Amino acid sequence: MRHRLLGVIAIAAVVIVTAGLLRTARMPATDRGPASKTPWGEPDLQGIWTDPYQTPLERPAQFAGKEVFTDDERAALDKQRAAIPRRDQRVERGSERDVAGAYNAVFQSVKPTGKRTSLVVDPPDGRVPALTQEAAARGKTENEYRLALLQATETCKKKEAACNGGTYLPPSPKRAEMPPFYNTGRINRNDNPEDRSLTERCMGAVLPDFGGYRRIVQSPGSVSIFYDTGQGQGWQRVIPVTSSPHLPTSIRERFGDSRGHWEGNTLVVDVTNFSPKFSYRGSREKLHLVERWTRIDATTIEYSVIIDDPATWTRPWTVKQELTRQDEQANRIYYEPRCHEGNFGLPTMLRGARAEERAFARGEGPDPAAKDTATDFGNEGGTDALTGNGGGIF
Amino acid sequence: MANRTGSMIVIVILSAVVGAGIAIAFTRSTAAQTTRPSRTPDGKPNFSGVWQANNEAYWDLQAHEARAGAVTQPGVYPGYEFARAPAAPVLALGAAAGVPGSMGVVEDGGEIPYKPEAAAMKKENGANWIDRDPELKCYLPGIPRAMYMPYPFQIVQSTSKIQMAFTFANAARTIHLDKVEPPPDDTYMGHSVGHWEGDTLVVDVTGFNGKNWFDRAGNFHSASLHVVERFTPITADAIRYEATIEDPEVFTRPWKIAMPLYRRLEPNVQLIEYPCIEFAEEFLYGHVRKNQLVKRWEGETMIIDITRKVPPGDKFFEWYRK
Repeated sequence: MRHRLLGVIAIAAVVIVTAGLLRTARMPATDRGPASKTPWGEPDLQGIWTDPYQTPLERPAQFAGKEVFTDDERAALDKQRAAIPRRDQRVERGSERDVAGAYNAVFQSVKPTGKRTSLVVDPPDGRVPALTQEAAARGKTENEYRLALLQATETCKKKEAACNGGTYLPPSPKRAEMPPFYNTGRINRNDNPEDRSLTERCMGAVLPDFGGYRRIVQSPGSVSIFYDTGQGQGWQRVIPVTSSPHLPTSIRERFGDSRGHWEGNTLVVDVTNFSPKFSYRGSREKLHLVERWTRIDATTIEYSVIIDDPATWTRPWTVKQELTRQDEQANRIYYEPRCHEGNFGLPTMLRGARAEERAFARGEGPDPAAKDTATDFGNEGGTDALTGNGGGIF
Repeated sequence: MANRTGSMIVIVILSAVVGAGIAIAFTRSTAAQTTRPSRTPDGKPNFSGVWQANNEAYWDLQAHEARAGAVTQPGVYPGYEFARAPAAPVLALGAAAGVPGSMGVVEDGGEIPYKPEAAAMKKENGANWIDRDPELKCYLPGIPRAMYMPYPFQIVQSTSKIQMAFTFANAARTIHLDKVEPPPDDTYMGHSVGHWEGDTLVVDVTGFNGKNWFDRAGNFHSASLHVVERFTPITADAIRYEATIEDPEVFTRPWKIAMPLYRRLEPNVQLIEYPCIEFAEEFLYGHVRKNQLVKRWEGETMIIDITRKVPPGDKFFEWYRK
């Protein structure tokens, strides 16, 4: 039995339909030209920007050794990817798993295939570097805990992929314990709001972010970026252009502390002071980013970020993406980030868990420990070569 | 304010107390606020920077005297409204838990012209502040409320857009000075379209969803709210902020609030996040925890014993002798 994430509903943000993504292509040729400057002489990064193409973060194994796709390959991949039913796939009618498909493919954006085979440009193999021993040990501890919560469920009984490394056993005493590290992801536990994923708590956005839209507004000495990302989980940052030092290390922020400076036409932003309560691929308070924002022509910003955490990865790595300017007048951006205001799902899930516990105590329902509320939220028909799955929305 | 009797208690995020803690003093300096030309390169007043209202409007837009607590109870003179005592949600916080008095920010007589049924709703809102005020739930504060909450906000002023970033709830608004299509949906923060009238930035705000309040006193509006804001420089470091409020569903006529906004002049000032979604989780969802952190919940009502243990050496008479 699986139950479905009803909440976290600011659906508008996720309905980033491909129509309009390529609007830039229709911009008059006169808009293309050298990078412009603001009236006060700084490089002008302003506007609404997005990456209109689908590029996997890491190069899929099947494209090893291949840095870019040919136009023909992109056309073939587009055709193949468009044919995938994704969440329109139906299963046994009336089952919880089928109902979970109500979040069907309409809610998924399927962007056209990008030119490069990975967003990661360094290391040259397009893969995120190996974890340090310390990070691998951390991951192992986390995974053991995750599997212990799952071990009494159908997922393990049926030896599904989510239970890889685990065994079907009676409920683990670990179900009464808090996670070994502050939980950020989805685990099979509903005792507290903190047991649910940050996304379900409307705190899913992190930096770096490679999806959604950005609205950039500048004033002398400040660059403001509003990220319209996730399901109504957008957020606002203001980057000071300054030589002043970072905040004291005692102040930790979810999106870190940014300090920008100009190197020619490039805004270089150093980001530190991240919070231990948020995780980017396992990296928490030691995450260090160096972002580079460069307007390379009227309709393009080249964005790159060096991602470093000596406690997590064996070497720094670099992601690069090209952001395309979007139509200002249409004002599509700023679907207000009001996930939290509409988050009836989180308390409802917890209330449901309490009801199931009471029913079980009365001998009227199944053991809640045998229920998997963590690993599946619907059906994915087919595999997208670029995303590795049907393009799940969470 | 709400009269909470016995031990039936709902607890509160004391935004005012925490807000005071936001103003963290640093000793290092930055260049961010030290250069502040009074005009932008295109000749407009320069509003870029970190700003904050410095008044009591966030408690109540209207003139009010100080109160013993954000939530009070009758005290020992049951009939005397002026003799109320702090109620349990704030009782343990002593003199830090009260509400400061204010001359109010409502122009032209200081009264908000409610329709009769809306006046009754406002009174009811005030009496149910803890359960109804969207601020306590960390909902996006809306306009004009975001402009005078007790937290700094930042203006990034460009030529065709002005972005405002608010400390509270990481809220944001974009003021469009250029042509823009109307928004696809109503919002908490509204849709802001601005233009300059001489040195005054005039912003027309519409598209509200009607879920916001104006303050912690229960002053409210509907989805028909229409706000016209005027930002006029007083000096390079002060703005006269005016907001004309029109909502024919709630008020008999348009009315206006006005107050200064002050530039935060600390050389190292920057917004420090106030991640209140997380802060409000216990308030919102504590009753559906498996093992509750408070004494017990009855439905969504917290039952709390307030026990204030005085540590050794800190008893009042001991402190007095120190």
